[in-house]
Amino acid sequence: MTIQTLIMNLQKFWADQGCYLAQSYDLEVGAGTMTPDTFFRVLDKRPWRVAYVQPSRRPTDGRFGLNPHRVQKHFQYQVIMKPSPSNIQDLYLKSLTSLGINLEDHDLRFDEDNWESPTIGAWGVGWQVLLDGLEITQFTYFQQAGGIDTFPVPVEITYGLERLEMFLEEKDSLYDLKWSEDVTYGDLRLVEESEFSEYNFNQADVKLLRKSFDMNIQEGQKMIDKDLLLPAYDICLKCSHLFNLLDSRGAISVTERVKMIAQIRILVNQVAEKYTSREGSN
Amino acid sequence: MEFFLEINTEEMPSAHIQSGVSQLQDKMKEVLDSGSIPFSQMKGYGTCRRLVVVGNFAPEQKERVEDIIGPPRAAAFDEDGEARPAAVGFAKKHGLSVDKLVVLKTDKGEYVGARKIIKGAPTEDILKESLPRIISSLSFPKMMRWGESLLKFSRPIKNILCLFGEKPFFFRVGEISSSDFTTGHKIFSPTKVKAANFSEYRNTLADLHVIVDPEKRKRMILKHAENRLRSLGAQIYSDDELLDKLSYDVESPYVILGSFPEDYLKLPLEVLSTAMKEVQNLFSVVKGKKQLPYFIGVADVPDDSKSLIQEGNERVLKARLADARFFWEQDLKIRLRNRADSLDRVIYQEKLGSYNDKAQRLKKIGVYLASKLEAKGEKKSLGEAADLCKADLLTEMVREFPTLQGKVGGLYAKEEGYASGVWKAIYEHYQPVSMDDAVPASFNGALLSIADKLDSIVGAVGIGMEVSGSKDPFGLRRNAQGICKIVLEKKIDIDFSRLLDKVIAVYGEACKQNKGDIKKRCFAFFRGRLRHIFETLGFRYDLVNAALGPGIDNIYYIYLRLKALDSLKESAHFEPMILIAKRVNNILRDQPQKYKINSDLLFEKAERELHTTFTIIRENALEMIARGDFTKAQRMLFRIRSPINSFFDTVLVMVDDKRLKRNRIALLQAISKLLNEIADYSQIVISD
Repeated sequence: MTIQTLIMNLQKFWADQGCYLAQSYDLEVGAGTMTPDTFFRVLDKRPWRVAYVQPSRRPTDGRFGLNPHRVQKHFQYQVIMKPSPSNIQDLYLKSLTSLGINLEDHDLRFDEDNWESPTIGAWGVGWQVLLDGLEITQFTYFQQAGGIDTFPVPVEITYGLERLEMFLEEKDSLYDLKWSEDVTYGDLRLVEESEFSEYNFNQADVKLLRKSFDMNIQEGQKMIDKDLLLPAYDICLKCSHLFNLLDSRGAISVTERVKMIAQIRILVNQVAEKYTSREGSN
Repeated sequence: MEFFLEINTEEMPSAHIQSGVSQLQDKMKEVLDSGSIPFSQMKGYGTCRRLVVVGNFAPEQKERVEDIIGPPRAAAFDEDGEARPAAVGFAKKHGLSVDKLVVLKTDKGEYVGARKIIKGAPTEDILKESLPRIISSLSFPKMMRWGESLLKFSRPIKNILCLFGEKPFFFRVGEISSSDFTTGHKIFSPTKVKAANFSEYRNTLADLHVIVDPEKRKRMILKHAENRLRSLGAQIYSDDELLDKLSYDVESPYVILGSFPEDYLKLPLEVLSTAMKEVQNLFSVVKGKKQLPYFIGVADVPDDSKSLIQEGNERVLKARLADARFFWEQDLKIRLRNRADSLDRVIYQEKLGSYNDKAQRLKKIGVYLASKLEAKGEKKSLGEAADLCKADLLTEMVREFPTLQGKVGGLYAKEEGYASGVWKAIYEHYQPVSMDDAVPASFNGALLSIADKLDSIVGAVGIGMEVSGSKDPFGLRRNAQGICKIVLEKKIDIDFSRLLDKVIAVYGEACKQNKGDIKKRCFAFFRGRLRHIFETLGFRYDLVNAALGPGIDNIYYIYLRLKALDSLKESAHFEPMILIAKRVNNILRDQPQKYKINSDLLFEKAERELHTTFTIIRENALEMIARGDFTKAQRMLFRIRSPINSFFDTVLVMVDDKRLKRNRIALLQAISKLLNEIADYSQIVISD
């Protein structure tokens, strides 16, 4: 199975469960959780089902394309179901079966792993799913987001597409994975990994990043004051990525780190509060 | 009648299962006891998906006898025993004939009464009412909601099976109704099955790949591991924590043996075993003390006939070991010294600055400790170790395996050629990480560990962090206990009060505001921890209080004091000594003012003798105390018994002559002060 058939199978499976198939968000994010299709939709009271592929960037994870398991950008397959269906674990098992995995030949384990993101005031309870010792999925019942109790409770399933594909292809390096029958992951991404690692670690202009961060923080507050919450949240995501870049450039001191995280959190919490009070009556 | 309950859930963490099962049993017992329902053989079992309780309960509450008091006997019956109207009326009111009335003896005399036997309610009624409450009141370290359920639990509840007297017992908890079935293994036999009682349940589930008894699963894991390793002549590297977790994580334990390329054995053992244990939960395999290129894993399956699980785990482990080797080689390219310079970018605590700030404090505290303990510690190597000890936080290895912090730094320092006084101190400076963990073997390691932990405690107290109940975000309790453990085992004789002053001074601005208060709270905190440790070690609580009485001037000396008290507690002199101390304290209780002894005013023979003996005792005892020989010092003090008794017998302290009275009080105050150097004897309880 190739990565693209893997994606197609998951798309089909979750669409059949009533998920709307979103397209990948067009901003740099650290995880599928951060896109508006998850962040906003877990906050309100309405039922919600969505699934999408999300490229996720973590600049400090870059290894110049030299490490076979670690990359500064990877692909997540994100599923949100709210309220969490009572048979959600069974659905998840079926999704694996739909990929051709015969679960009776393997050891599938739900191993305690609770998720937390202080920057967006969110935490959840759940597991990392291990398949013969390989982490293939993060499975989380969201309990809070933006500092607010989530109810009905959403469940988030995040498949690591590269991990899953490594399992399916029994490969030792992710660059050897097949994206399609003719194109490997390495063909598509090796140069990107090497160039972005150089950019993230050595070249990105610190002054420019800092200035952009400060200007975006100001812009974010302005948009919140105008009740333009979706643009304001996009700006928070930009700040978060700028912060990550500065971090990988090794340009952030202790006091700055605390201050910058707090700056983002303050904006995100305002967005969450305004959004819930706006949506509260629904 | 057999009672049986199974709560079926999504996968719970092992600690939750153990606590859940014992809470269920305790709460059931409480309900049965308070409802007067006799029961026996209550037992609990559990798997990651099940909390199980089984017991033998009486079908109904015990009968109760209730006496209703009526008229006084004299008013109820005449001298001939004939019923008067009062008795007739009372009997009629309670539906009894007069001859069924009983005589009740009370404090106020004899009364006539009606005795009623109240039949117990059926146990079912009690259970129906209390089970929902019991289940919804279970508490777990982290609780969650799911779907639209208002109930909070460890993980979502899937089903509840309950039987009483071999019949399904129905009740509701929140939106969950109990049922008459359970399900087998989630993947291998997810079918619904019914059972009439616990033994049928246990046997049926065993056929469906679920072993309900955790002890049995643990035995299976050990036995199968042993079988797998027999031909290699090897054993698993014993790890109780991992074994415990695995025995709860699986319902159908199956042991796999796998291998990894021998080349990776060049990595340090610490790195290898951590890479194996974390995430994959694999045991290391050893032959004697030598690690072999194998691992033992425990899968939740009936078998691995195609060896896919073994091969999968081997592939994952190989990738992790390749990572670890990559980290090891990369990390060694940057010297710890250079990494340490970047520690100002790593936050320790928002208000307490960076790890560089912390390292600089540790250097000062470490050097102070080394100089106070004279030749024992090496100032230079300790300073160097303090400087470098946090540098490994910036290594890839620690980023990947946080539990290796310290150890990895020590190993890198060793590779870089630092002296053993330096690298061992870095390696060991987080030890002990728990009360079961070993204290640092090297003296430098011990001192650096004390410095690190005390710095954390003072800093946290300084910024107003409170430790209360289950809340201990900074692990302060563990830190304080770690310090005490090191001091006791390493016999570290240091003035704790001055050490605290030093740490507070080193913090400078951050702890400037309220120095006195910080110190007071640190003392109180350590007092509590020491009490806990000493009582865990089995010392009598009153002796512990007595030893802590003089204050936390020197932790090691408190221990010596306590040991002295403990060793002398059976001595014939012990109780008389305590009585003397209490008597002295009683006399001095209302004397706020301190007086000085004037030997010219000692007129009576007994007081002169007491003063002479006491002066000699004091001279000797103080020297023994300074050496920490509290047993001898206490024996020395026993000698005051006879002179002080004759003093009490023949001399009146509270005389009219103020000068004489004050002089005698002064003498007793001096004695009391000396006694207090050893213990607060007033805390000791004398058995009658």
